[in-house]
Amino acid sequence: MERKIGRALVVGAGISGVRAALDLAETGYGVTLVDRAPHVGGILSQLDHQFPTNHCGMCKMLPLIERDAGSQYCLRKGLFHDNIDLRLATEVTAIEGDTGHFTVTLRSRPRFVDPQLCIGCGDCAAACPVEVPDWFNAGLSRRKAIYLPVAHAVPNPYVIDAAACTRCGACVPVCPTGAIELFQEKRRAFHVLVVDDELVVRDSLKEWLSEEGFSVAMAASGEEALAQLAQQAFDVMLLDIKMPGMDGVEVLKKSKDLFPDLTVVMMTAYATVETAVEAMKIGALDYLIKPFDPEALVSKIVELYERRQVGYGEQIEVGAVVLCGGTDCFDPSDGKNTFGYGVFPNVLTSLEFERLLSGTGPMQGTPTRPSDGGQIRSIAWIQCVGSRDLQDQSDFCSGICCMAAVKEAMLAKERISADLEATIFYMDMRTFNKSFQRYRDAAEHEWGIRFERGRVHTVMQDPSGNRLLLRYADRQGRAQDAPFDLVVLSVGQRPAAGVSQLSETAGFALNPWGFARTEPFSTARTQREGIFMGGSFTGLKDIAESVITAGAASLSASLALRAAGGGLALTASAEPVLYEDVSRQPPRILTVLCECAGALSAPIEAGDIPRRINADPAVAEVVTLSRVCTAEGWQALENTVAEAVAHGCNRVLIGACLPYVYARHLKALGMRVSLDPALMEVVDIRTHACTAKDQAATTIGRTIQSDLRMGIARLKQAATLVAPTMPVTPKALVVGGGVAGMTAALAIADHGYEVALVEQGAQLGGNLAWLHATIENFDTRALLDTLRQRIEKHPSVQTHLNTRVVSAFGQAGAFYTTIEAEGGGPETIEHGVAVLATGGQEAAAATYGYGESPAVVTQKELAQKIAGNEIDTAALRAVVMIQCVHSREEPRNYCSRVCCASTLKHILALKKRHPDLPIYVFYRDMMAYGFAESYFTEARKAGAIFVSYDPDSKPVVDVPEGGDPPLRITGREPILGMDIEISADLLVLATGIVPTLPRPLAEAFGATVDGDGFFQEAESKWRPVDALKEGVFACGICLGPRSITESIATAEAAAQRALRILSQRSMTAGKVTARVRDALCARCERCIDACPYGARWMDTELNKVRVNAVMCQGCGTCAATCPNSAAILEGFADGRMLDTIDAALDGVLDNSAMDKQRNAL
Amino acid sequence: MKPALQSKREDQNATLQQRLVPVRKMLQACIQCGTCTGSCPSAAAMDVSPRYMWRLVLMGDAARIFHSTTFALCSTCYTCALRCPRGLALTDAMSALKQIAGSEHLARYKSSNRFYASFMESVRRHGRVREMEFMTLYFLSMKNPLVPLKYTPLGMRLLSKRKIAIEIPSKGTGRLDSLFRQAIALEDRK
Repeated sequence: MERKIGRALVVGAGISGVRAALDLAETGYGVTLVDRAPHVGGILSQLDHQFPTNHCGMCKMLPLIERDAGSQYCLRKGLFHDNIDLRLATEVTAIEGDTGHFTVTLRSRPRFVDPQLCIGCGDCAAACPVEVPDWFNAGLSRRKAIYLPVAHAVPNPYVIDAAACTRCGACVPVCPTGAIELFQEKRRAFHVLVVDDELVVRDSLKEWLSEEGFSVAMAASGEEALAQLAQQAFDVMLLDIKMPGMDGVEVLKKSKDLFPDLTVVMMTAYATVETAVEAMKIGALDYLIKPFDPEALVSKIVELYERRQVGYGEQIEVGAVVLCGGTDCFDPSDGKNTFGYGVFPNVLTSLEFERLLSGTGPMQGTPTRPSDGGQIRSIAWIQCVGSRDLQDQSDFCSGICCMAAVKEAMLAKERISADLEATIFYMDMRTFNKSFQRYRDAAEHEWGIRFERGRVHTVMQDPSGNRLLLRYADRQGRAQDAPFDLVVLSVGQRPAAGVSQLSETAGFALNPWGFARTEPFSTARTQREGIFMGGSFTGLKDIAESVITAGAASLSASLALRAAGGGLALTASAEPVLYEDVSRQPPRILTVLCECAGALSAPIEAGDIPRRINADPAVAEVVTLSRVCTAEGWQALENTVAEAVAHGCNRVLIGACLPYVYARHLKALGMRVSLDPALMEVVDIRTHACTAKDQAATTIGRTIQSDLRMGIARLKQAATLVAPTMPVTPKALVVGGGVAGMTAALAIADHGYEVALVEQGAQLGGNLAWLHATIENFDTRALLDTLRQRIEKHPSVQTHLNTRVVSAFGQAGAFYTTIEAEGGGPETIEHGVAVLATGGQEAAAATYGYGESPAVVTQKELAQKIAGNEIDTAALRAVVMIQCVHSREEPRNYCSRVCCASTLKHILALKKRHPDLPIYVFYRDMMAYGFAESYFTEARKAGAIFVSYDPDSKPVVDVPEGGDPPLRITGREPILGMDIEISADLLVLATGIVPTLPRPLAEAFGATVDGDGFFQEAESKWRPVDALKEGVFACGICLGPRSITESIATAEAAAQRALRILSQRSMTAGKVTARVRDALCARCERCIDACPYGARWMDTELNKVRVNAVMCQGCGTCAATCPNSAAILEGFADGRMLDTIDAALDGVLDNSAMDKQRNAL
Repeated sequence: MKPALQSKREDQNATLQQRLVPVRKMLQACIQCGTCTGSCPSAAAMDVSPRYMWRLVLMGDAARIFHSTTFALCSTCYTCALRCPRGLALTDAMSALKQIAGSEHLARYKSSNRFYASFMESVRRHGRVREMEFMTLYFLSMKNPLVPLKYTPLGMRLLSKRKIAIEIPSKGTGRLDSLFRQAIALEDRK
């Protein structure tokens, strides 16, 4: 299908980058996805387990509609989508132009290994003599200079670490496909001139650079340098500034006059840095400060060399840019290092510990003591390392470490021993999302993980043995020395390396903490139009937040592309290619074997494979080719296939490697030879042969034969499959007119689709109607006015006020919802998607004297009083605030996320009016996550006193007779170990948020509601705004407690998810979908219950079980459940599967294996 | 009419409260993590931990603060200030409490104040501490013959290890007097 599409650039292929790229690709845009790393996945490529499931679930982000556009394949291993152009080991060097018309310069690092040719055999790594610490295992293991960047990527070509490689050339001859080229000659052709009057400088520079393979000449003075320049062309001149006679600046001027293209790097001592800067103004490229760090110097020259090799890079045109640069981890060896990181081998960072827990890690997932391999009996987690530390310039909370530590403690107990003593030292356990508190409680009460409030100040080695001694003050103030086998430092986040450089390139600002800054109320928009942010590039996000903000960023990018004319309009809607159905013809299979540059010729010969395969009457021809992965090899294959098809072959079996890589190629091949790609099959005959080198050729040959026979069996019963399509009603229904609902409605309507916005109240606004300012002092009134006006004026939004949803039914693409206005009749709306934004409200207070005295108010009431100027702060003797009222304990055992920030906001507002007003806060854990931590610090500095309490010893409020203040509030002060009594004139209760999502409403749309009444997302991390049923989304507070900015981000993410569906006239399902054989179906409806995607329903009119092909994900649960074999999965019919199994067993059991068994008997 | 003594005590309490305000300002960002207590080498000898002391200061509990000897036992090693995640000047806060106790002539801290005064006197005279002279000055100022007896075993041990030398006390040259006068003037101006 030809489409006029816009193209976006997504920078960073971590989780948020992948999400943003997939979102845009699924909506129909072209995406160029770049990452400077040689693999996808970002930091998550190193993390195997995510809470709350303690598993990975990244694959849940794969496209659910038009599944065949990408490979349905583990996202940790690779990303394949028709609309995504993935560029690894590539950096962005310039972004010019304006929104809609950016010209982006990309520079790819030379890899030295051709990824097209590399077959991943590992012979090169075996030959490489250089060993360095492995980044992938966080330095806990070692790798060669030629290495696999991650263990599990597909395809997984080796790369060379240019900094570690000595260019000895040992790997080049051992590569079976000749994929490695070190460009030794090119380096030798790179001439460097070193000009310095000091012999020792000249000599050492020459030595370092010659070692790197460059040609180096030396000059002792300016005159000599000019003479050398006249004789020979140089690429770089390293020029000392202070020299007797002609000084560096003069040499620079003269040489630049004579050779304007010469690259000059100045060398200078600290004292003359200013001169060096002056020199840059007259043409020097850069300067180096003496004394030199050899590594920095060499990498500088290597960078210049590489730049010369690849030129200024490739330029591409894009309409919008999404930056998902991620974050870095704090390095605890920086600074004071009181925890002995890097000194004691048993002190690890959380990332290192994750690697120990990983099956692909250095200990295969069962950690032992790194120092001596002994059993680990106790582990201590130390929280806030590099977070919440003003001395480390981190006046922020990293937001993710608390939950990561709890998860690691659980996994450690699971992996090492249930008796493992796991202790987490923390200041506040920040369990600030809806399921987090229960997860933490389970860790404490069910798993026996100890939570110790306090900060460990030093880790020391126990002199008597292998253990580590931790010294900390317990809650009673006693100094404790506790021994542990292992200490895990929960390291905080830091701005990604190069963020300041990128901020200059891309023209966005940084926030005070060095992360990328976005505009008020947006997680995506920056000060430069057309450039957007996703994920933790803007600071401190877990997976769910990264996915949500990536969705918000892709929505903004989509709007920018649309505004620039690169919209989603179809230009030419060519019909999908229709192939002649040859599946009913007797199979005539062409088998092509790739002998992989001779690597497989021995087993193919030993197994006599071509003859044996050809013995099958269905096989028409067996051809052996070599290196079909190369362009020439593939050309040869195409020619062979074309010829065979012309001679009546109607199936193709290719024995090669990595089937997932060939999906795109097969589509092209199918077009060329007019054969349905469904009738072609790629079988991996290489991986086994590669990993089983010690086996005899005949054994390998047998396995190859078995693999091929299975392919033949599958092909014999292969059928031409047409992906079912379903029409889409290009209209959205948004339920709820708060900030999230309005944002989602506008986002969809701005893309040109009709939106019906249903609000049960008399006006739009929701909670925004009573809020006045955020903690950052953003104006929420202005936001409300803007949103209301835009909704009112928008031609595509129909607002239904005082209206309720009565009933709804349907599936993605076609919903039918009946709404009823107050006093009006019912009206049915036809729509393609539904977005639920029903919001929530402050929970009611029923304790601490609420209702007995006017001096006891909720947070909302206080906010209104402050805004209405109803509080005379001067007349108040003291204010007390109590956090977590009815919250974070059963039955409402979740954190409402916004109350702590509200408390801090109110403290600062009250203190601003009356700095001497005593304010006391009784809290359990202050959830000042992210940058809100700085307001926590500010509130303390303003003089508020924070007193922590346990749920079993809550503060007690005495309301005097008649309810007139002062109230007497008594609470336990844990530090002093005594009760304190406060006479207060105002008591503020933080009661938290309860959702207003009626269960029948959610269920009408096929969504579910969790135990606390919130919308149940399909997956809290990977699909955080989707219902399990496709086509239904949620945003705002009904999804979970959130701030305004966070609600807007969910609304934008939900809108983006909805646009994936609306942007298609008809949705294309995957080819592998389930269907029902009505004649066999007994209507028992078990399949309907079993379907996890809600894709099946009972059509009572037709008395048939029906399947929504688009919602069906081809999992096959129905086929396994059906007692009558009436539910079948296309392509996985019983007969075909049984034949394939037979073929597999034949291959193993025939020949000698059977003989051997017989002989043994 | 209040009894004179009680009135005087209340006056003193008000002054102490007043003088605690700047100390409280130094400590307001405290998060009660206990890093100071964990890292304090003198914590075992203190009646309340440093964290407890800061909490009292934040609560403005002058009576308890100046009943405790915690700040008097601070050996000014600066470990707490180095480790404090909030970057608070904790050692300075201890010194500030010492200064209040000294300048308000609180009876409870008499010996500690005299100890510091004797130390500084020796420094004034010679530009360094002469241990023997310093302790002699201290014993004299305490006007209690039992005090030297208490220190005799320690003194003997230090003498035998040649950690201190027997020197004749002298008035010194007085070359540092102007420096000390200036310091006192600065203190008074505060």
